[in-house]
Amino acid sequence: MSARADAPLVERIARAHADLRPRLRGGPAWQARRDAALSRLLQRGLPDRRDENWKYLDWPEVLAREFAPVTAATAEAPTPAGLELPGACRIVTVDGRYSPALSDRSLPAGVSVEELGAALDREPELAARLRVPGEDADDRFALLAEAFTDAGALVRIAANADVQAPIHLLHIATGAAASHARLVVEAGTNSRARILEQFLGGGDGALSNLAVEVTVGAGAQLVHMRLHEQPAGAAHVETLSVTQAADSRYRQQSFILGGRVLRSGLRLELAGRGAECEVEGLFMVEGIRQADIYTVIDHLAPHTRTVETFRGVASDRGRGSFNGRIVVHEGAVKADSQQSSRNLILTPLAEINARPQLEILTDDVKCSHGTTIGSLDPQQLFYLLSRGIDPAVARGLLTFAFCEDVVARIPWPEARRHVEELVVGRLPDRDIIREFV
Amino acid sequence: MPQKGELILDVRDLHAKVAGKQILNGLTLQVRAGEVHAIMGPNGSGKSTLAGVLAGRGEYEVVSGSVTYLGQDLLALPAEERARAGVFLAFQYPVEIPGVNNVYLLKAALNALRKHRGQPEVDAFEFLGLVREKMKLMQMDESFLNRGVNEGFSGGEKKRNEVLQMTVLEPVLALLDETDSGLDIDALKVVSTGVNSLRGEGRAIVMVTHYQRLLDYIVPDQVHVLAGGRILKSGGKDLALELERRGYDWVRQEAAAA
Repeated sequence: MSARADAPLVERIARAHADLRPRLRGGPAWQARRDAALSRLLQRGLPDRRDENWKYLDWPEVLAREFAPVTAATAEAPTPAGLELPGACRIVTVDGRYSPALSDRSLPAGVSVEELGAALDREPELAARLRVPGEDADDRFALLAEAFTDAGALVRIAANADVQAPIHLLHIATGAAASHARLVVEAGTNSRARILEQFLGGGDGALSNLAVEVTVGAGAQLVHMRLHEQPAGAAHVETLSVTQAADSRYRQQSFILGGRVLRSGLRLELAGRGAECEVEGLFMVEGIRQADIYTVIDHLAPHTRTVETFRGVASDRGRGSFNGRIVVHEGAVKADSQQSSRNLILTPLAEINARPQLEILTDDVKCSHGTTIGSLDPQQLFYLLSRGIDPAVARGLLTFAFCEDVVARIPWPEARRHVEELVVGRLPDRDIIREFV
Repeated sequence: MPQKGELILDVRDLHAKVAGKQILNGLTLQVRAGEVHAIMGPNGSGKSTLAGVLAGRGEYEVVSGSVTYLGQDLLALPAEERARAGVFLAFQYPVEIPGVNNVYLLKAALNALRKHRGQPEVDAFEFLGLVREKMKLMQMDESFLNRGVNEGFSGGEKKRNEVLQMTVLEPVLALLDETDSGLDIDALKVVSTGVNSLRGEGRAIVMVTHYQRLLDYIVPDQVHVLAGGRILKSGGKDLALELERRGYDWVRQEAAAA
C-alpha cells in the first residue's frame, strides 16, 4: 500500500490500468478511445498544485486515495434511500455504473436511459459525437475517467419532449476503492426537462471521479440540480462539460454539502446565438472538509447571457474556493454576463479563496462581477439581538438566510426542505438552530 | 410590570463615544412609568446615540455615568437581555434580513420574552390571532407576515413593521428613534395610533425626533432639548411648539448664559 502511494502517480495509474484492462467491457470504438485517453494521460499526468486552476485542491488527501477502480466483484450495492421526489423517475448508478435493477422500469415519454457502453456498441456515431477531453489541465480528470471506465449512463431527452416528471439520478458510491465514470445527457431540440443528480455513499478511502457531458439542443430548456451529500470521508472529483445550442436555457444549481474533498469543475459553452445559462451554487465546509469550485463559462455567440451566483460558507477548519472565469469571445456581441460570489467565514481558522475572472474580447457587451468575503453583517446581528434573540441563534439564522438565497430557488419543495435540513446540519450551532428553521 | 410613577429609566451623567468621538457629554434623564418623553434636538446632537446606547449597540463606548433600568445596571446587560427585560428600540433605519421570516422573528422574540418571565411558549394559534389584530391596527397587509424581515419594504412599511413588533411585544420601555422620519401624514397617523395603543400606567415611551409634527399625534408629558450631548432644557408639550417657532439657538444661548 505504502509503496504504491509513494510511486509516481502516472505509474500508479498505468499499473492500475494494466490490471483492469482485460476486464473492461465495450466494443472497439470504446476501447480505442480508452487507449488514446490513457496514453495522453500517461504523457501529461494529472495536474498538481503548481497549476493555477488546481492550487487550492487538497492534493495530499486526493493522492492518498486508491486510484484503481472498483471491480464488479467488489461493487456490492447497499442502496441508500435517496430523496423521495413525488412523481420522479429514478435512475440509479452504482460506482458510476447504470443499474437497471435499481432504477425505475418505466420512464416518462421522451426519456431514454441506457448503459453508455451498450449504446456505444450499437451506435458507432455516438463515439464520434462524444466529447474528447481536451489537452489542458482542467480536463485531466475527465481523461482519467475516459481511460478507466466502461461504466456510464446515457440519458436522452427526445426532441420536443416536455418531460414533467423530475429525472432523479441517484449516484451511489459503495466505498473502499475508486470509481471512474461518465454521465452523458443529451437534451434534444426544443425539449424541456429537469434533472436532479444526488450523490450518496463513498467511504473514507474512496475516490469517485465523474465526467459529465451535457448537450442542450437548440431551443431546449434544462434544469440541472446537483446535490452532493457524500459522507465526510469521501473524495470526489468531477469535470462537467456543458454545451448550449441557440436559444437554449440551462439552469444548474449545485449544492456541495458533503465529502472530505470535493472538486467540481465546470466548462460551459454558450455556443449558439441567444443561449442563456444560470449557474448557481452553494458550498458549505465545516470540520476539515474542503470544496474546490472551478467554473469557466465561454460566451461564443451573440446575445448570449450568463447569471452565475455562488455562495460559500466556511467554519471550523473548513476550506473552500471559488474560481470562476467568464470569457466573452470575439464576435459574442451583446453578451450579458453577471457573476456574483459571496462568502462567509464564520470562525477564525476557516478559509475561503474567491477568484472571479472576467475576460472580454469584444465590444458591446454588458458584464459585471462582484465578490465578497466576510463575516455576518453586524447591523443584522444587532437587529436580531435587540429583539431578544440569543446570539448563537441569531448567527445561525443569518447564516441560514445567507444560504437560503440559493436554496429557495430549488424547484421542488421536497428537495428544498431536504437541502435546508442539510444546511442546518452544517451550521456551527446546528442543535440550537434546528427548532427555528 | 412597574407601578405608575415608578422610576423605569434613570440616566445619570452619561458620557459616550462613537469611533473615538465623544457624542454624549453628561446626559441625565429620568423616565417614570406612565410617561411619554420626547427628545428633540438638531442633527448631530446625540439623539440616536442615546437610543443606541440604551439598546446596547456594540459600537458605542460608555466612558462614564450610569444607566439604571428598573433598579438594575442596564449597561451591564448584553443587547438581547435588555430586550428580554422589556427594552425595545424601534430603529430609525430598520435593516432588511432576507431569508429570516418576519412573523417567525416576531414569534421568536415574543417567546424569548416569555421564557425570560418564566412563561410557556405562546400558542401558535393565539399568536397568529394576536399578530393579525395588531396588523389591522397598523393597517398592514397580511402578505407582510410571510416576507423576509423588512425585505423589500418601503421606508414607511419598515416603520410600521417596527411599531407592529412593538405592539406585539409590549415593552416596558419603548425607544423610538426618529420613527416619524420619512412618513407621509397618513402613515404618521397609523404609526401614532400604534404607539398610543401602548401608552399605559406600567410603561414608558421615549421618542427621539426632529420634528414637532409627531407630537401632535403622540402627545408627550415631557419634552427635552438635546444639544451637544446634554439635555439643555426640559419642559411640557408647549416647549415643542416653542422650538418649532423659534428653533434651537435660543435654548443654546439660554444654557450658555446660565
